[in-house]
Amino acid sequence: MIDRLTAALARSRADYTEIRVERTWSTAVTFRGRRLDSATASEDQGGFVRALHAGGGWGVASFTSLDRLPAMVARAGDLSRAVPVEPPIRLADVSPHQADALLDLDGDVRGVPIAEKKRLLEAYNGAMLAVSDRIVDTLALYRDEVSEYWYVNSQGTILHELRPEITLSGTAVARRDGTIEKGLESIGLRRGWTSVQDKTAGFREVAERAVELLDAPMVKGGTYPVVLDPELAGVFIHEAFGHLSEADFVYENPQAREMMTLGRRFGKPVLNVGDNGAAPGLRGTLPFDDEGTPTQDTTLIKDGILVGRLHSRETAAAMGERPTGNARATSFRHAPIVRMTNTYIAGAPGGGSFEDLIGDVKLGVYACGAFGGQTMLENFSFTAAYGRMIRDGRVAELVKDVVLAGSLFQTLDRIDHIAADFRWNQMGGGCGKAGQYPLPVTEGAPHVRIEEALVGGEVGGA
Amino acid sequence: MIAPLVELARRRADGGADALWRRFERTTVAFEWGRLKSAATTEEAGANLRVRHRGRVGVAGTTATAAAPDELVGRALASAELGEELDLAFPGPPSAALPTVTTFFDRAANASLDDLIGIGRALLARLEREGCRVNVAIERETTATRVANTAGAGGEYRGTAFGVSADVWRIAGDDVLVVSDALEGADLPSDEALAALVASINARLDHALRLVAPPEGALPVVFTPAGLSALMLPVTQALSGKAVLQGISPLGAKVGAQVFDARLSLADDPLRVGRTASRPLDDECLPSRTVCLVERGVVQRFIYDLETAARAQTESTGHGTRGIFGKPVPGYTNIVMNETGAVTNVVGARHAAPLQLGGGLLGSIQDGLLVDELIGVGQGNVIGGAFSHPVALAYRIERGEITGRVKDAAVAGNAYELWKQVAGFGNDARWTGSRWAPSVLFEGVSIARR
Repeated sequence: MIDRLTAALARSRADYTEIRVERTWSTAVTFRGRRLDSATASEDQGGFVRALHAGGGWGVASFTSLDRLPAMVARAGDLSRAVPVEPPIRLADVSPHQADALLDLDGDVRGVPIAEKKRLLEAYNGAMLAVSDRIVDTLALYRDEVSEYWYVNSQGTILHELRPEITLSGTAVARRDGTIEKGLESIGLRRGWTSVQDKTAGFREVAERAVELLDAPMVKGGTYPVVLDPELAGVFIHEAFGHLSEADFVYENPQAREMMTLGRRFGKPVLNVGDNGAAPGLRGTLPFDDEGTPTQDTTLIKDGILVGRLHSRETAAAMGERPTGNARATSFRHAPIVRMTNTYIAGAPGGGSFEDLIGDVKLGVYACGAFGGQTMLENFSFTAAYGRMIRDGRVAELVKDVVLAGSLFQTLDRIDHIAADFRWNQMGGGCGKAGQYPLPVTEGAPHVRIEEALVGGEVGGA
Repeated sequence: MIAPLVELARRRADGGADALWRRFERTTVAFEWGRLKSAATTEEAGANLRVRHRGRVGVAGTTATAAAPDELVGRALASAELGEELDLAFPGPPSAALPTVTTFFDRAANASLDDLIGIGRALLARLEREGCRVNVAIERETTATRVANTAGAGGEYRGTAFGVSADVWRIAGDDVLVVSDALEGADLPSDEALAALVASINARLDHALRLVAPPEGALPVVFTPAGLSALMLPVTQALSGKAVLQGISPLGAKVGAQVFDARLSLADDPLRVGRTASRPLDDECLPSRTVCLVERGVVQRFIYDLETAARAQTESTGHGTRGIFGKPVPGYTNIVMNETGAVTNVVGARHAAPLQLGGGLLGSIQDGLLVDELIGVGQGNVIGGAFSHPVALAYRIERGEITGRVKDAAVAGNAYELWKQVAGFGNDARWTGSRWAPSVLFEGVSIARR
């Protein structure tokens, strides 16, 4: 394959050309309630070419028929010439790499019969259903893939990788009369079969909580001190801050650039945030990004001050900064764009435990887990899976419909206490941007306290 | 490749098979922050096969369409081995000819790269303004679809799709304002449609420059056709046969019951000319027809695909939707609000301009909100109907007029409760994606500020 790609590259007349080919084998199993919904094996393959002529814009071609490779290399070149760009696109230097990287498959899923995958999921699904007859429905998903990946560019980079991925999720729906509550478990790793064994407890727990939530009151809307659990804190930093640190948002937008000026204070000195595409074993981890740049740990906020951002080769060149290995594409169907990998709030050494965070909170909310989150730039909204009231320094009753909303800048600045209990949230799902979804990413954080945040629930109470 | 595939599947699967083959080519030009940045082309083809063998159903998909069909049939049979028993019957040929609906427009198919760039440049020029940055994307797609089954049903059609989207950004300090709009259709957009897109963005931008304090309490709120998503999503989810079968649809037992305002009607219409979701038959070989979901507030029926219908012991409504990977699911085509009469083809191709922001519903409002975009729609327990969302783009209405944009406000309510009594439908019905709806005014929507 490499020979085929380098031969096609050699015929390109563009000043810069890159070719990516992927072949992905995947299996997926789905249960709904007690019923197997589907068990399928799929094969997806295709290629991607991106070309740049001096003074031209990006010419891009993607295709599923590999026979079309030479024609698509020519087509990408033509497209680049057809879109003149002033000032010209430049790419920051990255030294060429040749690598044959076989990530740890940790139990190659291709050697496991699909019937066995069905049995594993059936067990986890059954654990949710067994919790109570109040569990009226479940949705359990298993998905694995191994992707063989080839990348070459005209500057001498040649990569060949075998990339595993495995995700499991379970939704338990509890119902009593008109009240419906959900619990959600999710596991996602860039590993294989071995890594998803013995996970029953997590599935059982979310079903138990869905049942408990049937009796829980809605949180009373208002402003509270809020403690985020590591899962929600991770989702928060990804959604609310991470996307603003992607340089394609700022590099050609002077006002945005000003808003995201390095050196600006974003939080109290306790706040440290980064993105680490090289952390071992996580979903967002790969040796190189989709431009052949090695991944790295990039500090974004240090002691409350904005110190870095995430780059592709193009955005790095435009801003006179260094590429960070964050140009990623969800598949051969897409061009690489600036994306996060594994984004984190660092644990505060000496930050203490969860108990230390809530000890002096008279009335507050402990918001846990995430059903979803969305950011519209400086405004965000997150739906926690559940919450608990904090009363007189202790965790008290379960509450539901905890929706956190606010302005990023205000909220980051109000983070006043960060615990030392950092952990990565190894969840499935993925990040969406510019029509590319789902991109495997991971988030990590310790418990984080916001001195004051708006909690929606019974909003207005009118 | 579909005929040999279905034939091979017939020989190996004792309960029959059906398949979909689809090929598309897409060309996209993108203008980033005001300048032309890239041109892209995509060619993709794939096949999806479903078999029934020994009473069990299995599915497989591939984009390796050059490979021998044996491999795909083998994978589908392996999938069936694990599957549960299902009494799924593949439909035979329809008694009448397939309905005619124009899905392919030569003007769209023949538009050159320069035509696409030209449309983008013209839009940019009309959207440029001091202190703002504009992104524009123009996309053109041609598709060919073939479906067939072992019972002798099948069909093929070609389609075109043309999409134009633009967003205007204005960042002032820490205030980020984004106003966007998009139009999509099967034909090349008309000059009027492009002018409407510009007018829609400019009108909302003009009103957004001034910031005002949000109101608070239970107040009248007008949702624009785009803002209406938060109120439509629970209803469309609840009208899916899949949710009904799972027992999670609040409308599951309500067929024939008056659950909404008597002025609300909803239909799913796969036969609208000029819409990209239109097709003569669904992805499971059933002829398309318009399905009335809600008529004058009364729930009429739910949408089904073959499998969901078989499990619910009813008939498919022709809403089987499938991609290359995975199995068919029930999916909507064009959701049309309050136009239950005959299909009007002229309307189908139109991208109406908002005649006036708020569709003429603002006049009677002493104090309230006009909501154009909310944050977090689709999160949480959507089908339950309760929602609570911060506003992304909303305006205060005072004494019948828009007085400015509000930030730091959230709206909340229950979609099913609100649809029981609608205070007014606007005169500004338009397509938002594949939904045709006007602005809608509700009384007593909870508004909170922070």
